[in-house]
Amino acid sequence: MGEMTFVAAAREDLDEEMARDPSVFVMGQGIGARGGNFNTTMGLFEKYGPERLRDVPIAERGFVGMCTGAAATGTRPVVDFMFVDFILDAMGELINQTAKLQYMSSGRLTMPIVLRGCYGIGRASATHHSGAYYPIFVHLPGFRVAVPTTPADAKGLLKTAIRLEDPVLFLEHKSLLNTKGSVPEGEHLVPFGEAWVARRGTHLTAVAIGSMVPRTLEVAGRLAAEEVSVEVIDPRTLAPLDIDTILESVHRTGRLLIVDETYAPCGIGAEIAAQVVDRSFDDLDAPIRRLNGLHTPIPYSPPLEAAVVPTTEAIAQAIRDLLAE
Amino acid sequence: MAVEVLMPRLGWTMETGSVLAWHKHEGEAVEVGEILLTVQSDKAATEVEALESGVLHMAVGAPPIGAEVPIGTLLAYLLSPGEAPPGETPARAPAATLPVAPEDGSAPPPAATSPAPAAVAGASGVASRADRQAHDGQVNIAATVAAQAQAAASPRARRVATELGIDWTALRGSGRTGRIVERDVLAAALTAAAPPRVRVTPLARRRAAAGIDVESLAVASAGGRVSQADVAAGVRRLVAQRLTESTRTTVPVTLTTEADATELARLRAEIKADAGHSTGERHEGDARDERSRGTGGDGGYHGGMVPSYTDLLAKVVAVALAAHPDLNASWSDEGVVRHSEVHVGIAVDTGRGLFVPVVRDVARKPVAAIARESAQLIARARAGQCTADELRGGTFTITNLGRYDIDAFTPVINLPECAVLGVGRVVARPVVVVDEAAERVDVRKMVALSLTFDHRIVDGAPAARFLQRVKHLVEHPYLWLTR
Repeated sequence: MGEMTFVAAAREDLDEEMARDPSVFVMGQGIGARGGNFNTTMGLFEKYGPERLRDVPIAERGFVGMCTGAAATGTRPVVDFMFVDFILDAMGELINQTAKLQYMSSGRLTMPIVLRGCYGIGRASATHHSGAYYPIFVHLPGFRVAVPTTPADAKGLLKTAIRLEDPVLFLEHKSLLNTKGSVPEGEHLVPFGEAWVARRGTHLTAVAIGSMVPRTLEVAGRLAAEEVSVEVIDPRTLAPLDIDTILESVHRTGRLLIVDETYAPCGIGAEIAAQVVDRSFDDLDAPIRRLNGLHTPIPYSPPLEAAVVPTTEAIAQAIRDLLAE
Repeated sequence: MAVEVLMPRLGWTMETGSVLAWHKHEGEAVEVGEILLTVQSDKAATEVEALESGVLHMAVGAPPIGAEVPIGTLLAYLLSPGEAPPGETPARAPAATLPVAPEDGSAPPPAATSPAPAAVAGASGVASRADRQAHDGQVNIAATVAAQAQAAASPRARRVATELGIDWTALRGSGRTGRIVERDVLAAALTAAAPPRVRVTPLARRRAAAGIDVESLAVASAGGRVSQADVAAGVRRLVAQRLTESTRTTVPVTLTTEADATELARLRAEIKADAGHSTGERHEGDARDERSRGTGGDGGYHGGMVPSYTDLLAKVVAVALAAHPDLNASWSDEGVVRHSEVHVGIAVDTGRGLFVPVVRDVARKPVAAIARESAQLIARARAGQCTADELRGGTFTITNLGRYDIDAFTPVINLPECAVLGVGRVVARPVVVVDEAAERVDVRKMVALSLTFDHRIVDGAPAARFLQRVKHLVEHPYLWLTR
């Protein structure tokens, strides 16, 4: 059990999987000798060479199509988008081919491809480099979506993602890359569809996504001094979504807040709220509340950037308001 | 199953009647036998009892107060909690009100309104009644729906109310918009006459054995499980209730005197020295005098057990009460009840609050037995292991604050007892003593005694004589050592 950063944990995992399975390879811009813009592949080029760490030109649709074909023929590509915003340039290929090939081939083809990239705000990366697009992928059949928030989960979920036979969107939040935590060595596999109850509480359930997990935990810790007991749940994967853990929690607390950095309309919060109302209406003691980023492109200015996503103050206020309902 | 409340026939000649008053509100729980309404017949106004229990719900089209209607007219329903009234679905009731409760408050045109209630009533199979009452009924429909709109309840509150058998429609909501939420239902369950099924954690049950009614603690969680913290709060509440009840119902008067405890102290010292020969062992005994209370295996006249001042005073009190039975008594509705035995309660400060375990039949027990029993009871009270029986049935209470350097104070009577003796510290002081007709100053060990008694049961002079007797026995232990 070593102490390491989020990005190092994911890199250790990739290293282990590439050593274990020669069919695993990485494609992306600057992921070769440069080691990746976010150091996601640092040191691996020296170890596995240019055949398995392939630098590519700025042509997302092209190399995503290549990897889709490679996956269909039995290899396990890992596409590293660096900034996940550029996955948008490959959407036609992804939605129409990558996500549908297993269906179109009646399961004769599998699609073990990992689409990884850094997302979210926090580094004044401006509007083309700060998005979080997971709701789109949760919406579409065929994709699995992982949003780890701890170094241990970064390793454990990436390991599972690489071994799955389905396309996986594996998202790494820019503000979490350097967080440190203990990480189990070797075979550490975190299954998809199992939420992590990050903090136990009795008054209110807060489901937090990605960067909002540490932020909500901080607020929950602070509110504990005011005798407010908040349960914090990190779903870890959004597709599949562990709704049962959320339902079980709401059964105890009666109140649900969903904290999500990205936009509210048709988002994860809407989906969770709808499922909870559908399946646990009689457990609810108050309306379900969502706390989301503003419905706007992410600004470049750091103060504005900080203002468009839920702040700790906003989370604390939302919790108080919901408890007063 | 909904029970119909109909205009009753109150005499052979009665054909019509009118409701003079409802004694229960819409949504209120009604017990069988309670007065439900007053009916005016041709002869007299008569109070009518509920023939069944249930939640009162005014029927759609029910006659308003004072309107004369034929006997058998449907007035209201008595419903089970959460039950929908027959023939009325939530969707239909508001539909009926649309024409009769216009937003602008103006009177609705009759042509538009009359058919609406009739049509709705017809659909629910009460057309004839509704037709007769079509006009008057409009007011009631509006009132009923207004009451329903007022009582918004969260889904969870409704579910928990059903689980606990609480009628949420009668509750006041504490939510931001007046919504009834779970905590309102739980609060209602706490005060409900019929407590819900309560699950109690084993720890809580053990803690509560000491006379806390777990049912009254009801439901800290959705499942109604009572936890240890609830019991701790319950102890506090119980103490508060008992003491408030005591000061509210008794007429307490406190007398104080000072007794020369030099001989009593010497008696204790000698027992202690005797016990010390055979043992050096100590145990956690009476905290009021922990430092000096040793215990022992088998040696000494008292079997190694050194009585505390409280133990000695328990004996003193029992001996004194034999001569003053008026103070070994309780007030009841039948009058003063004198007790034949003396059961002395000993106030014990524990981590969970004040407990008063009772040493039985003190008059007949030697001091050593009293000391042994009280030590066990106090230890059990501190550990939260006293049974309810060990905390019941006292006839007199002793509370000793001597270890906190308190002299005199005003103890509160432990109901239903008549009196309580407060014992102060035993402290050496210069005192004027009369020795062979000469006065001189001597150092004596003095103790303040505070007797609070209920003046309803006993008058001041007899109480004073009792305290004087206690003082005398404290000063002359040889008088009771053989008792």
